[in-house]
Amino acid sequence: MGGSSLQRQKLMFVFIGLAPIIIIYGATRIWPIIRTFSLSLFDSNLVTPEAKFIGAQNYVDLLDDDSFKTAFLNTTLFALGTVVASLTLGLVLALVLTQFIRKSSLYQLIYFLPFVMPIVPVAIVWRWIYDPGYGLLNYFLSWFGIPKQAFLLYPETGLWAIVAMNVWKVVGYNMVILIVGIRNIPLLYSEAAAIDGAGRFAVLRYITVPLLKPVILFVLVVTTIGAYNVFTSVYVMTQSTTASGNAIKILVGEIVQNGFRYSKMGYASSQAVILFVVVMALTLIQFRFVRSDT
Amino acid sequence: MSEEFKKRVSRRKFVSLTGGALAASALLVACGDNTATAPVASTTAAATTAATATTAAATTAATATTAAATTAAGAATTAAGAATTAATGGTAAAFNSGFTVPTTPIKLSIWADAPEMAAYYQKVSADYQKLRPNVTFDIQAFAARDFEAKIAAAIPSDTAADVMQGNIYAFRKYIEANLLPKNPSQVTGLINTAGAYPKELTDLLIFNKDYYGMPFYQGRHAIYYNTDFFTAAGLTSAPATMDDLTTYAKKLVKVSGGNMTVSGLSLRLTGAGSGIAEKFGMWLFPNGGDILQKTADGKYHSNYSNEAGMKTLKMYIDMLYKDKTDDPKIKHDTEAFELQATAMYARESNVVGDIAAKAPTLKYNTAPMPKGVRWGDLSSPVSHMVSKSSKNADTAWDFVMYCAQEAQLNYLLGSIGWIPQRQDYTYAEALKAKPQFAAFVFKDPNYKLYTAPNIGQFDEIQTKLAERLSKAYLDSSLLNNDAGMKKVLEDAAKESDDILKKANLYG
Repeated sequence: MGGSSLQRQKLMFVFIGLAPIIIIYGATRIWPIIRTFSLSLFDSNLVTPEAKFIGAQNYVDLLDDDSFKTAFLNTTLFALGTVVASLTLGLVLALVLTQFIRKSSLYQLIYFLPFVMPIVPVAIVWRWIYDPGYGLLNYFLSWFGIPKQAFLLYPETGLWAIVAMNVWKVVGYNMVILIVGIRNIPLLYSEAAAIDGAGRFAVLRYITVPLLKPVILFVLVVTTIGAYNVFTSVYVMTQSTTASGNAIKILVGEIVQNGFRYSKMGYASSQAVILFVVVMALTLIQFRFVRSDT
Repeated sequence: MSEEFKKRVSRRKFVSLTGGALAASALLVACGDNTATAPVASTTAAATTAATATTAAATTAATATTAAATTAAGAATTAAGAATTAATGGTAAAFNSGFTVPTTPIKLSIWADAPEMAAYYQKVSADYQKLRPNVTFDIQAFAARDFEAKIAAAIPSDTAADVMQGNIYAFRKYIEANLLPKNPSQVTGLINTAGAYPKELTDLLIFNKDYYGMPFYQGRHAIYYNTDFFTAAGLTSAPATMDDLTTYAKKLVKVSGGNMTVSGLSLRLTGAGSGIAEKFGMWLFPNGGDILQKTADGKYHSNYSNEAGMKTLKMYIDMLYKDKTDDPKIKHDTEAFELQATAMYARESNVVGDIAAKAPTLKYNTAPMPKGVRWGDLSSPVSHMVSKSSKNADTAWDFVMYCAQEAQLNYLLGSIGWIPQRQDYTYAEALKAKPQFAAFVFKDPNYKLYTAPNIGQFDEIQTKLAERLSKAYLDSSLLNNDAGMKKVLEDAAKESDDILKKANLYG
């Protein structure tokens, strides 16, 4: 009885201690998500309090919305490109730095630096790099006789140019996380494999990568979520007279435009719900297929 | 409570632990909250002026303020006419808006939708403080899109600045939703003073027979042209007609090593927002079309999927891919003009101020917009609005009225470059100092001042049209492809009309 009372008091102490955080987190994080789901079922305008319940009409309208479909496709391509390239490059860099370079701290720092740099100045610098008139990339290409390219002007090339910038930005973070994972794999396994005659590639394939799966999963999930939520880099890099402007559509950009420019909060909420569901589904799929069996 | 627990956690200890946890939680939340709500929209540093207005100064100045507002105290309810007379007095010393300004310390927040206006408000607020030393200012100037995003959240939540300066179209939906207050009689009195403001512009401030906002300046357009390039090309006069525009552009374009180095006429081809469609509309007007046309019953429909629209789109496509007087890959707009990468382009008057600051040696002149089957210029009016949530509304309106005085408007034109809407002043000083302003205040009975329809949906219509036009401009397959161009315009017009239909504004 006394023990039970003690348990209750301990629980009460924990609850009271955590209550402010739970309340504030719930009010600022959970409630808005619930509210977004709810708003998506209404014809709701940001400036008028009245909202008319319209069921799934916003979702039906999305199916006929070319802008939304383009944004969805672009965002998916952006996420795919970013995840595949940054994970592959991150893994390669992590393996090289842990296995071939003795004092790799300086290299880790150099690769990690872009990740801690604020996105707006980074995007502006990359916009200059891609500039068709005086951009560094065009200057470099001119050495090979390649004419000036307006990388950000056409949506077809602009999207991949921004993917390249994003990969440059996140690859250092992925690399550091993967290095931590690799260093946590006991040497015992690779030594035993080496004694059994396994080569470097076999050790990588049968020992390092399988044991790295939980870390790879983490990197995959974090990069996917980040890539689907892309906004600032696209916004900054395309707002110039030698860039494509609104032609490179992305999901968050569409949500912002519909919600805060056209005041169509209900419609924007339905787009946000789709984004939420897609990212959640992808995360679950990644958990299902990449989770560690160890 | 068990003895064991009593020993381990006394009541005092429990309270102190809980209190500590609460304090730590609050601290963590405060840190997190600050990060989450840090303003991201501000593109220019917020400029807080007049922080030096000390209490002592305020106290000393209280007398002066009281003196200046002597009549105001008793005349808060004065008829608009009397207030107007005072407000049109002109000199700072004679300024009396008819509003009662308290002598207690007041802080006015100002949000402007143009970054260059920060300098204006810093100067004008400092001058205003000489009259009202108890008033201090917090000035923030944003890019137009960021301003619109900011007020979208702030006005409905009653957290907007005391004074907001913005395009009247940006305020319209909040006015229709009763989220912005109608004008006090003193302000309406000044607006209705005979000859003070163009009726075409003040009519746009009316909603349900009431005025909302104080007219401030207007975006007026003209053709900027590089006089050195004109001389080199043997051109002795500015383009006067739409035909001149294309003929001149062909003579002015410069190509070196296969690359265009100077465009003949810089068109707005890409970029954010609705500007692409607005500029298209400026060439569409002389060709006989409009983005939207108002019907007799007050409804609207698109008016560009027609001969005028085809002619305008064809002009763009031909200039890009047939005459090659412009190229999407080179610099455009003001930056191109200042870098001498274009010979001509059409833009608002504030570029005069920008050139003075960034390219003071550039030799250029301006000309009124060219003639076609119609002749005229688009005016984009900007007004001041006082928020409903302002705790110092009278002071805010007083400051707004102060901004409408001759000295302040002369400074606006001369230093920033925007054309005041107020037309009962001559602005002789500013016009003499920068003759390039002449094309923006050009008057001719046939030169029509036209405006965009003041409906909340116009921004969406124009932005979506801009996206389609931008895509079309980059599509070289549209050259000599009338069917392709017609489809671009038909699809865009259908989208515009659908937006109108959904808002019950189509007719």
